[in-house]
Amino acid sequence: MEAENGEGQVQVHLKTKQEHYAVPDVPYAIDGSVSTTELNIFLNALLQSKGAEGVDFDFLVFDEYLRGRLCDHLREKAISFEDAIDIEYVERFPAPEPQDCLLHDDWVSAVKACGKWILTGCYDNTINIWTNKGKHKLTIPGHTAPIKAVDWISMDDENGRFVSTSQDQTAMLWQWNIASNAVECVSVCKGHERGVDSVCVSPDAQRFATGSWDTMLKIWSAGLDDTSEGTAKRVKESGVRTPKMTLQGHRESISAVQWMDATTLVTGSWDHTLKVWDLQLEGIKTEISTNKSIFDASYSKLNRLIVTASADKNLRLYDARTNQGSVVRNTYLGHNAWVQTVMWSNTEEFLFVSGSYDTQNKLWDCRSPKAPLYDLLGHGEKVLDIDWSNPKYIVSGGADNTVRVFKSGKATIENMETK
Amino acid sequence: MTKKQAIKRKVKEPEPTNEQSSASEPSDNEEDDDLLQAVKDPGEDTTDDEGIDQEYQSDSSEDLEFESDEEGNYLGRKANNEAEGDAEEDEDDDEEEDEDSDEASEDNDDAEEEKPSSSMTAAVQTKVEPIIQIIPRDPSKPEYEDSDTSDEEDIRNTVGNIPMHWYDEYKHIGYDWDAKKIVKPPKGDQIDDFLRKIEDPNFWRTVKDPQTGQEVLLTDEDIALIKRVNSGRIPNAEHDEYAPWIEWFTSEVEKMPIKNVPDHKRSFLPSVSEKKKVSRMVHALKMGWMKTTEEVEREKQKKRGPKFYMLWETDTGRESMRRIHDPVSAPKRDLPGHAESYNPPPEYLFDEKETKEWLKQKDEPHKRKLHFMPQKFKSLREVPAYSRYLRERFLRCLDLYLCPRAKRVKLNIDAEYLIPKLPSPRDLQPFPTVESLVYRGHTDLVRSVSVEPKGEYMASGSDDKTVKIWEIATGRCIRTIETNDVVRCVAWCPNAKLSIIAVATGSRLLLINPKVGDKLLIKKTDDLLAASPSLDVIDNERIKTAVQWSNAEPEEQEKGVRVVITHFKPIRQVTWHGRGDYLATVMPEGANRSALIHQLSKRRSQIPFSKSKGLIQCVLFHPVKPCFFVATQHNIRIYDLVKQELIKKLLTNSKWISGMSIHPKGDNLLVSTYDKKMLWFDLDLSTKPYQTMRLHRNAVRSVAFHLRYPLFASGSDDQAVIVSHGMVYNDLLQNPLIVPLKKLQTHEKRDEFGVLDVSWHPVQPWVFSTGADCTIRLYT
Repeated sequence: MEAENGEGQVQVHLKTKQEHYAVPDVPYAIDGSVSTTELNIFLNALLQSKGAEGVDFDFLVFDEYLRGRLCDHLREKAISFEDAIDIEYVERFPAPEPQDCLLHDDWVSAVKACGKWILTGCYDNTINIWTNKGKHKLTIPGHTAPIKAVDWISMDDENGRFVSTSQDQTAMLWQWNIASNAVECVSVCKGHERGVDSVCVSPDAQRFATGSWDTMLKIWSAGLDDTSEGTAKRVKESGVRTPKMTLQGHRESISAVQWMDATTLVTGSWDHTLKVWDLQLEGIKTEISTNKSIFDASYSKLNRLIVTASADKNLRLYDARTNQGSVVRNTYLGHNAWVQTVMWSNTEEFLFVSGSYDTQNKLWDCRSPKAPLYDLLGHGEKVLDIDWSNPKYIVSGGADNTVRVFKSGKATIENMETK
Repeated sequence: MTKKQAIKRKVKEPEPTNEQSSASEPSDNEEDDDLLQAVKDPGEDTTDDEGIDQEYQSDSSEDLEFESDEEGNYLGRKANNEAEGDAEEDEDDDEEEDEDSDEASEDNDDAEEEKPSSSMTAAVQTKVEPIIQIIPRDPSKPEYEDSDTSDEEDIRNTVGNIPMHWYDEYKHIGYDWDAKKIVKPPKGDQIDDFLRKIEDPNFWRTVKDPQTGQEVLLTDEDIALIKRVNSGRIPNAEHDEYAPWIEWFTSEVEKMPIKNVPDHKRSFLPSVSEKKKVSRMVHALKMGWMKTTEEVEREKQKKRGPKFYMLWETDTGRESMRRIHDPVSAPKRDLPGHAESYNPPPEYLFDEKETKEWLKQKDEPHKRKLHFMPQKFKSLREVPAYSRYLRERFLRCLDLYLCPRAKRVKLNIDAEYLIPKLPSPRDLQPFPTVESLVYRGHTDLVRSVSVEPKGEYMASGSDDKTVKIWEIATGRCIRTIETNDVVRCVAWCPNAKLSIIAVATGSRLLLINPKVGDKLLIKKTDDLLAASPSLDVIDNERIKTAVQWSNAEPEEQEKGVRVVITHFKPIRQVTWHGRGDYLATVMPEGANRSALIHQLSKRRSQIPFSKSKGLIQCVLFHPVKPCFFVATQHNIRIYDLVKQELIKKLLTNSKWISGMSIHPKGDNLLVSTYDKKMLWFDLDLSTKPYQTMRLHRNAVRSVAFHLRYPLFASGSDDQAVIVSHGMVYNDLLQNPLIVPLKKLQTHEKRDEFGVLDVSWHPVQPWVFSTGADCTIRLYT
């Protein structure tokens, strides 16, 4: 009876993987109605002896974040109150802080960060380069239709190279001299028959893959010269590059492309499938059928899971390693509209960000399907693309003609520490 | 003399061979018995005749059967009787005398009496006859005797079988055949009797015939017979009890069979004919044609038995059980209120006015608020007997009398049962459920929307005289094309190899290259439209006045307009043929030229109909066959374009058709009407709607089938888009399944208009709707 009201006592073991926050492993009897706040106070009291000051923790009960009361959580999972419960606590991921707002002339449909540089693609057919401090470096006209995707190929102190794709059915390879702030178009990649919606550069920066509305997946060389024949000069002259490989398989537009490793690609498409391509086989390795059109998909090298965005407000988690058809590992509810973009963190195993047409970005922990960790507010219109390539910055572009830069919580702390 | 004769006959009777049996008269019996009784104790003084008579009569019935058994023996002997009568008489006399002498000696008697027949009654009876001699016996009528039976009454006296003591007070004892009184013989007093007893040696053998009142003298034979009977011997003295036994059938069991032939095989088999007979009988029994004796008996019993019937038919066993299980409860009465109290609070007592009113309503007591007048008593003791008790009991009884005996069964149908069993919408996914995107940009109501065959872009036409091209996924307006007039309809060419939008604006039909998608196709389309083929066929005047083809002016070329087809009246609708070469336009004001078919490749127009059958609302090409659907206000006609004839006429039974859409397989047609209905026609089934859906609360403006999914949507002036599942099966025997799935109501109302057009995404289960609120909405 007491337990039903959440008044009962629950035996818990507090554990952590972060050694410096470890507490002695003794069972504590705590009230069932506690929530994270109370647990935090309790844990901090325990840790006070160790000399750690107020740290915010999040609590994982049976691999899921505790949100709300512990008893409700247990009841939902159908776990007996009699058992001793292991609660794992992790230091709470600090809240990202809005840092900057980069104004554009038109919708920003593509953003990509690399180091301190932010590359944006715009609906006014231009590419822009910004610093993460919000300084506009360069506007690059070239495409004849809105830019749909951009990606960095390489970046060193002198030169940066990047690729952009557009609705004008081409992808363009650019080289940017940082010192002189001059950009030149290395080559124009022609071959797609419709707008190119997605692009991704391979980990070794030798190739890049594009997915298009003509349902084709094409692999291109990302080198300065077209490798096979002809000198760099000749390439420049002709300026046209043809695909190294064309992979056919999707029935609708390919909306997301990402390299899993040097020879494996994952694509998401409007035809409700996720496909894993093996470039050595030049064919499909795995196919995951879902029941929604996929607008964006992101693969994490850390946990090897794929998260997808679709029109029904939900983000879904898939595992490409299971080959038993559509296996939705988890569904993340929180957005209020069409989710357009999603991206895993490069450094945090469990975190990913998403952007939606409800003008919100959300930072998720994949262990917390009910609610996101943080809502990143700022955009006044649809969010079209989000990027977290630079672990310190979450960058998103939207239909309000802005790019919003959020300083990731970790970065803030580190910055403070370095200061 | 007759007496003797009769006796003689009697004697001979047991021997059928002996022709002498007289049996002139089938004897009557009662009297015989009586006599017998009397004779049993001959010594007894029978002074009281009456008593004896009565006794006889009472006994008489017992002997009836006995006689009848014997009867047959008498027949056919009568003729001889008479002849022998006289001679025998003498003998009898002698015998009588003999018997007198040796009554006891039975041995003699036996010999003499020569086997008196077992029916002593007959014998006795005959004795009576000679004494009276009143029976007009006609010996020449043997047939009379034949037909006569022994149990017939003695007919010498015609009074019949009545108690003879009725005649005790009369001098006669009845009437003979001539209706003359049979006079009782003079009856002496007791002294006379006594004297006779002393004097008359035959007194003991004198008996009285109750029928005639005559005294009869029993012959010796009679006496012997009586004696034999009394002593329990065989009445016929002549019968030899110890005659040698003749073995007609031997009693010995033979060791060997008499015949050595074994039984035929057939004899071991059950008889077929018998079996048939039995089965026939069994069948007859089963069918009730034949009845067993028991049943017959029972029926007879039933017929004979007393007949009762229920005054109340319902007073049967079932009814009484019904009273137990399902009683008709008495009407529930209100609980008594304060006014009914014997000591009500003063406010419940009537004041003068109320009393007056109560009394005034004497004639219509049902109008009274209270059916009684509250009264106040000091104590319960003082409350008088209830004066209306009897009357109310009586009324209650009347109520019960009129209470319906049969209970009306209420038809109790579960409402759920009446609802057709439809699959749950959850199982019919995917279908649009939420509004995902709003395309804003138009400044007046958006009339029409059409999606590119690939599904990346769409075009919309609005009353703000513009056509806009949108990127579906982002809601971005890519291009705005201004026209000179209100855009009534846009239609993207369904051929993916062409990049053309047909736009109906005012009375001009514009073919616009939207310049989105594949650049190569854009270029090709431009080339195709730029070159105007040489007109080798000269259009007739009728067409020329209706339509002019022309290339667009340079400033319009800039916007993307390539070809202009100028009509003579405002165009309301434009629709493409599936191949993308033909397109049809509708001009409702065009009278008999209101529907036109244009051929793009030849830049030629045709007027398919010479006569208008009504105000044409919209037209449609069949997706597979060369058929053309024409909707007038009330009906839809289907024409074969090759044979140029009417195939079918669909009767909508509605006032005004607003739009129609054909299932991609071509066998089902959806029609929307301004009178709030949607009609589903199964073209193979009938010319009447397979189903009529009244889902909307206002005029339905547009319907659309999805090209791939079994979905259709409808848009209405009630601002709702209703998405329904419409599954058409390949099995021709299975009717289409229609399940309304979702009502999407996000459009705003403006000037009584809601949703003006709906259109499906060609590949995704997404629906677009245009509204009077200047927006296009996408539901996913």
